[in-house]
Amino acid sequence: MLTVVVTGLAIGMLFAAVALVYNVMFSTSKVLSVTTGHIAMLGGVFGAWFVATLHWPWALGLVGAIAVGAAFGWATELLAIRRVLNRSDEHLWLLSTLALATMVQQGVGLWWGTEPKPFPRLIPQDFGAGALDQKFWLPIAIAVLMAIGLELFYRRTMYGKLFLAMSEDAFAARARGVSTDRIRVMSYVLSGALGGLAGFAAGQLTFAYFALGLTLTLNGFIALAVGGLGSNIGALIGGAALGLLNAFASHWFGGEYQQTIAVGLLMAVLLLKPEGLLGSKSVRPV
Amino acid sequence: MNENAARPAHKAIALGVGALLAATLPWWAGDQYQMHLAALICIYWILIAGLNLVVGYTGQLSIGHVGLLAIGAYTFAILAGKVGWHPAVAVCASGALCGLCGLALGLPSLRLPGFYFAMATLAFALIVNELVLAQVDLTGGGIGLPGPVFPAPFDSPKGFYFLVAALALAVTLLSWNIARRMWGRGLMSIRDNPVAAQAVGVPLFRAKLVVFVFSGVTAGVAGAMFASLQSYITPDTFVFELSLFFFVCIIIGGRGSIIGPFLGTVVLTALPELVAPLAKLGHFFYGLLLLTVVLVVPEGIGRMFELIGERLRPRAEHHDPIEPDLARLARALGGPR
Repeated sequence: MLTVVVTGLAIGMLFAAVALVYNVMFSTSKVLSVTTGHIAMLGGVFGAWFVATLHWPWALGLVGAIAVGAAFGWATELLAIRRVLNRSDEHLWLLSTLALATMVQQGVGLWWGTEPKPFPRLIPQDFGAGALDQKFWLPIAIAVLMAIGLELFYRRTMYGKLFLAMSEDAFAARARGVSTDRIRVMSYVLSGALGGLAGFAAGQLTFAYFALGLTLTLNGFIALAVGGLGSNIGALIGGAALGLLNAFASHWFGGEYQQTIAVGLLMAVLLLKPEGLLGSKSVRPV
Repeated sequence: MNENAARPAHKAIALGVGALLAATLPWWAGDQYQMHLAALICIYWILIAGLNLVVGYTGQLSIGHVGLLAIGAYTFAILAGKVGWHPAVAVCASGALCGLCGLALGLPSLRLPGFYFAMATLAFALIVNELVLAQVDLTGGGIGLPGPVFPAPFDSPKGFYFLVAALALAVTLLSWNIARRMWGRGLMSIRDNPVAAQAVGVPLFRAKLVVFVFSGVTAGVAGAMFASLQSYITPDTFVFELSLFFFVCIIIGGRGSIIGPFLGTVVLTALPELVAPLAKLGHFFYGLLLLTVVLVVPEGIGRMFELIGERLRPRAEHHDPIEPDLARLARALGGPR
């Protein structure tokens, strides 16, 4: 039973980390990017390539994975967001990020292969550690650290406050002399770095697998919508709830119905409390 | 004036030539494989014609229609193959069941805003794949099911091609009927400005639901034909990227048009088969194409041709200078004092 709880928490915290990445991008651009899960996938795949294939020490591999994630976040902003935000059609960013996500997934599939490959062990530890194994507590620790770090960043630093100002009202921030374009690029680079870190930390749990991105995009979004858009604590709670539900569902009913149950949770929350558990109510301007 | 009169004639000639080519295709097609490709284009078009109303006209970005296609295909394979119904009845049953699934999916998710709706349809596609793999007794799980063939005269490639071409024509007419009348205008207004549409009395939710159910029915029929054409279906046939392909066809052809997505379907289905290097790149190519179109011409390739045409043959500008009638103007302003 303990293993079920720990597995659920670990996978749930990975979803929560993806939800945090969504939040960082959403705060400055009001865009929910389809590429979010793919950033974490890149972190895992490139981490495995750096450490297992190129035999880098794991600290260097971590830096490399974060750098790849940040570069991809920057590329997302450059290719799929910047031009599209200038147009008034609100659905275009969905199309452009979907296109970019497909390209990355297929590109990685062509280069890395379509089979899941094992992720190397980072810290020397006996394989019989059971529930205390590093593949479980690494993603949990990273997600919690990320949430705390983001809260500190938003509250204590100048740039964090600029992010908040932009999420409140981008026009007002611009009128006060904030370079909103540069802040948006920064938020995408930051979210890419966080996504790469999350993918690297959870690599041993998920394996280095090219098709992981879409699943993470969907499940991270479910965690975000359940917890409430824009709330970091809500993302942690939503992710934990989703992961635990998944783990117990596969423990009791078998692993075939995971997606069905996850979407059931999403639909239930959206019907009862459309803004999520900790989200703020949005009022439609007319 | 001249040009305005000439354009419908051009269109009629182009349509006539296209129809003639399509009708005589079995006699000039080179080999069996090209017949297979033509039938595949027709089947894709049956689905895309319905999806076009949802994506192109109403602006609801459904990226999960491959789930409906899979349901249609499996329903047909089970009913016509295992249970032994007549294939025609099984096709109707596929369409009806997928219409119901469309209703069940649309009822909760069409209330959601853009990204939420896209994610709900994506989740639907993944759920269908999961259920197909889980229900081994019904669907054969990962091994798959044989797709039954139609009885004579539709059992030859030629007969089957005419069957799907007739169905595609029927679906085109249906969707054209919806698109050109008040309904089509209402749907476009939902896409462009839902608040304004609601203000002038377009029933937002009902209109969205009706076209979504219609697209479900066409997806079901397309799925049944697909199962019969491929002769064997497995869950791997219905990957998510197929959904993306349908989507790209519509976006490239241009939203709010029927001929554009049709040409998109024909070109995009045929292109990777005819140009070998593109087939290797596979869905990467579709992603690249979608990104290019969204960034360069979000209105679709058709709009690009229009722009080029205007650049080459600028519209004659009318100059009717009006001389001010000073005396009358002076009177109107109060007359000479």
